[in-house]
Amino acid sequence: MADPILEVHDLRVTFDTEGGLVPAVDGIDFAVAPGKTLAIVGESGSGKSVSSAAVMGILPSNAEVKGEVLLDGRELVGLPDDELRKIRGNDIALVFQDALSALNPYYTVGWQVAEAYRLHHAVSKKAAFKRAVELLDKVGIPDAARRAKSYPHEFSGGMRQRVVIAMALVNNPRVLIADEPTTALDVTVQAQIMQLLADVQEEFGTALVLISHDLGVVAEVADDVLVMYAGRAAERGTVRDLFYRAAHPYSLGLLGAMPRIDVPPKPRLTTIPGSPPSPGSIKTGCPFQPRCAYTERVGERCITERPELTPRPGEGDHEAACHLGRRPEVVS
Amino acid sequence: MPGLVWFVIRRLFSALLVMLALSLAVYLVFYAIPTDPALLACGKPCTPDRLEQARHFMQLDQSTMQQYLNFLKGIVAGRSYGEGAAVLHCDAPCFGYSFPLARPVSTLIADRFPVTASIALGAAVLWLVIGVSLGVLAALNRGRLLDRLAVGFALIGVSTPSFLFGLLAILVFGFWLNMVPVNGYVPLTESPVDWAWHLVTPWLVLAVLQASSYIRLTRAQMLEELNLDHITTARAKGAGERRVVVTHGLRGALVPIITLFGLDLGGLLGGAILTEKVFSMQGLGDLLIDSVGNLDVAVVVGVTLFAAFLVILANLVVDIVHGALDPRVSHG
Ligand SMILES: Nc1ncnc2c1ncn2[C@@H]1O[C@H](COP(=O)(O)OP(=O)(O)OP(=O)(O)O)[C@@H](O)[C@H]1O
Ligand SMILES: [Mg+2]
Repeated sequence: MADPILEVHDLRVTFDTEGGLVPAVDGIDFAVAPGKTLAIVGESGSGKSVSSAAVMGILPSNAEVKGEVLLDGRELVGLPDDELRKIRGNDIALVFQDALSALNPYYTVGWQVAEAYRLHHAVSKKAAFKRAVELLDKVGIPDAARRAKSYPHEFSGGMRQRVVIAMALVNNPRVLIADEPTTALDVTVQAQIMQLLADVQEEFGTALVLISHDLGVVAEVADDVLVMYAGRAAERGTVRDLFYRAAHPYSLGLLGAMPRIDVPPKPRLTTIPGSPPSPGSIKTGCPFQPRCAYTERVGERCITERPELTPRPGEGDHEAACHLGRRPEVVS
Repeated sequence: MPGLVWFVIRRLFSALLVMLALSLAVYLVFYAIPTDPALLACGKPCTPDRLEQARHFMQLDQSTMQQYLNFLKGIVAGRSYGEGAAVLHCDAPCFGYSFPLARPVSTLIADRFPVTASIALGAAVLWLVIGVSLGVLAALNRGRLLDRLAVGFALIGVSTPSFLFGLLAILVFGFWLNMVPVNGYVPLTESPVDWAWHLVTPWLVLAVLQASSYIRLTRAQMLEELNLDHITTARAKGAGERRVVVTHGLRGALVPIITLFGLDLGGLLGGAILTEKVFSMQGLGDLLIDSVGNLDVAVVVGVTLFAAFLVILANLVVDIVHGALDPRVSHG
């Protein structure tokens, strides 16, 4: 792999809440190289959004972040806020899931995109607005010069997501983190947005961290995949490692839960029984154990010993955190 | 725009109906009181003959309903009292004539309004600035000392009667410290410096008391606003903390604050009764209280209607401003 632009080592995020300490992210590693796409998948609450907010340094003040976040080799964790501010939106930009709530209802979309530009460039408001119109046009908003003067609520969901993407791209960031950028959209619009991101990546060599629930999208656009479960990495590897050689029962469960058009539909969609544990509630053993179909085959270890990431056969750094040594055959 | 014009016309029309109903109510209430305003005008010794004359001159010998109709007619066409050499004209629009003060009601209101307006406007600017800044600071320091102090200050403010606070202020700053004049009003046109100097204590007294509700409202609104997703977007763009709080946070909190402000100001412009009494300033509130004592129904009706008109006007302005401040609201 080419030298990564963004590297994350042993990232840990703990929230200090009234109910005690919540370890939302419990030691994850990932890296992404320019022009490449890393997908982070996992059920709701597995810590995907918290991880991306930690990378951006925009977590609330009750969060404690540990570990390393390296942007082009430069450590971001612990950097003073005014230093981080120069990086946010400039070198690393974020695309949010819900474009309606991510945009400020009181300002025109042109103003908001221009603001993102002005925050990192000493230009006149007029020049920034021109740049905003340029970007809005680029992300495919028809009649951008006129539409730039409209407010977020005057746009459709798909167009709003384009606005958010324009806002993220206006400073040509080196890393783009897209947190479920298409979940709120219907299928055809989803495809258009993903195409737009792919085009941008190709043109500017942007590294993309794509957080997604949609394994279909992941299969199509990702180079590498990180599967998260309860704040930890369950499995990581290339996209082919994951789709052809998944080693963690949880990954297999996710794959089984994905509707496929290349195989005849089963009477019912497979889902993983049970629900993910709340962060920190499982102190010993494998966090996935209560829902795992393979526990009996492995035995005691799943309950007493927490599995670490260990190498698995595959294309490169394929790793999974499971006591099952070889690839489990699918049980149904 | 035509939508807005229609909106204003509709609202003014309903305002007219409200004021008609209100004026009728004041008439009916006033004539239900078993006292005779003519007694005051009749002089001493008051023979039954002269009393009858006075009642006839003041048109009190007519039925309540007839008097009310005379009042309405006077607004449109003017009216006159008595006949022959003693005739008294009140030109249209005639809102009644005060016999005790020997002036048309409209002249009285025009004389007194600048005093009340001076008190109200100056105080309003102060309480808005104090209330909003303390509210924002409290929200930003939630749970900390500054927050507690601001909330405590607000609590004292709402629970202290204005006359008590006003008298204390006069005692301390006027008499003990001898810093400011203790009473009286100097017109702005006469001497702007003396005008402000005489008003500074009533301004501060009113502002400190009124600021309470603005502190609480601003604090609550800001806490809500700062939790919204688009605030995170602003941070992710690289906006500094002040920009996040003011440009993005306060902007959203503005609508309810401005709404409360418009209504408070509208109410106060109709007469700051206690403040005017305490500081011996002859404003509308002072006029109203004296007229109630004099059984001067014409003035009571006139001032009440004027105050009601200001409140209705404030509502209308607030609604229009609301539309201008929130792009999602449209009048139609
Ligand atoms: N401010 C916070 N205070 C306390 N706990 C938090 C906070 N923010 C997130 N968490 C917890 O961190 C965990 C991970 O949340 P996160 O939002 O990262 O999940 P996610 O993987 O993005 O889920 P989804 O797919 O639903 O977006 C959750 O259990 C959540 O309750
Ligand atoms: Mg999320």
